[in-house]
Amino acid sequence: MNWRRWNTALHRDIGFLCIGLTLLYAISGVAVNHIAQWNPSYRAERTTTNIGPVSGNPAEPETIRIILARLGEQGKLESSYRPDPVSLQLFVEGRSILVDLTSGQVEYDRAIPRAGLREMNFLHLNHPKKAWTWVADLYAVALAFLAVSGLFMIRRSTLRRGLLLSSAGILLPLVFLWLYL
Amino acid sequence: MRTSLIFILLITLLIPSAVLAKSFGQGVTLSTETAISAILDNPATYVGKKVKVTGLIIDVCSTRGCWIYLAGDRDFEKIHIKVTDGEIIFPMEARGKKAVVEGVVESLEMTREEVIAQRKHHAEETKTSFDPASVTSGEKVLRIRGLGAEIQGL
Repeated sequence: MNWRRWNTALHRDIGFLCIGLTLLYAISGVAVNHIAQWNPSYRAERTTTNIGPVSGNPAEPETIRIILARLGEQGKLESSYRPDPVSLQLFVEGRSILVDLTSGQVEYDRAIPRAGLREMNFLHLNHPKKAWTWVADLYAVALAFLAVSGLFMIRRSTLRRGLLLSSAGILLPLVFLWLYL
Repeated sequence: MRTSLIFILLITLLIPSAVLAKSFGQGVTLSTETAISAILDNPATYVGKKVKVTGLIIDVCSTRGCWIYLAGDRDFEKIHIKVTDGEIIFPMEARGKKAVVEGVVESLEMTREEVIAQRKHHAEETKTSFDPASVTSGEKVLRIRGLGAEIQGL
């Protein structure tokens, strides 16, 4: 088999291998690009309720138990904080519960993961680190191979179009660097 | 022997991060810890210096994960930790977890307009109400420019 056939075969097979990862990085890429407008991984939800005035020492576990019981909160209490003398903030499995002890007003904050996007962003932003770093590096090398091997697949009949579009793709980032850097 | 080595390597690479403290940015390198109360009591001693502080994460930027508030070692106290957008992204699950943060203490002189702009932005992020009339003057803000962090139980 000559080198052109090898090039085409490798381009095809590595391309197949990259489909899943490319979609993952593309979807997450758009989501993360707009991080100034939204949180791409979570949806913050705030609800308010009133459980009535709470007496007793906020530092006492019994007071906290009463608050959680009034809220019907079944989750495990992780920690607590006193922002001021009349408030108590409780953390239950990622949820924040801010209680005004005198009025009984409660602000319930939940961070709801965006199904699918959170997981994609987790991988895209390399939060797992460890072995995933190697996978991401290999994917980057594979993409570079696809780009270079693609150049050798330009045929005589499509030479003009191939060169034009390839040049445009290379010029595009350079134009923006010239504009913004 | 070779099988054992491969097994150990795989376990090291794939060990669940929840078992260990999760590291962000440059991680934590300083050995000496500074109490948040000490920084709040004597800001002039610490401004411009790199410190390591420990505390409970009581709030996280819900839009970009670009800041957290760390509870102080005394009741009713907290300190703002600001990180460069995109360099460190604190996840929302960090709220209520214990963190060790390393960074440089900053003191910012903010004009009234800057305070209003910052509070308005914060109110938008936290979906709370804010009345610009409640700000009557500029403020001196003490915060830590976070460089690295370790969060337990993530």
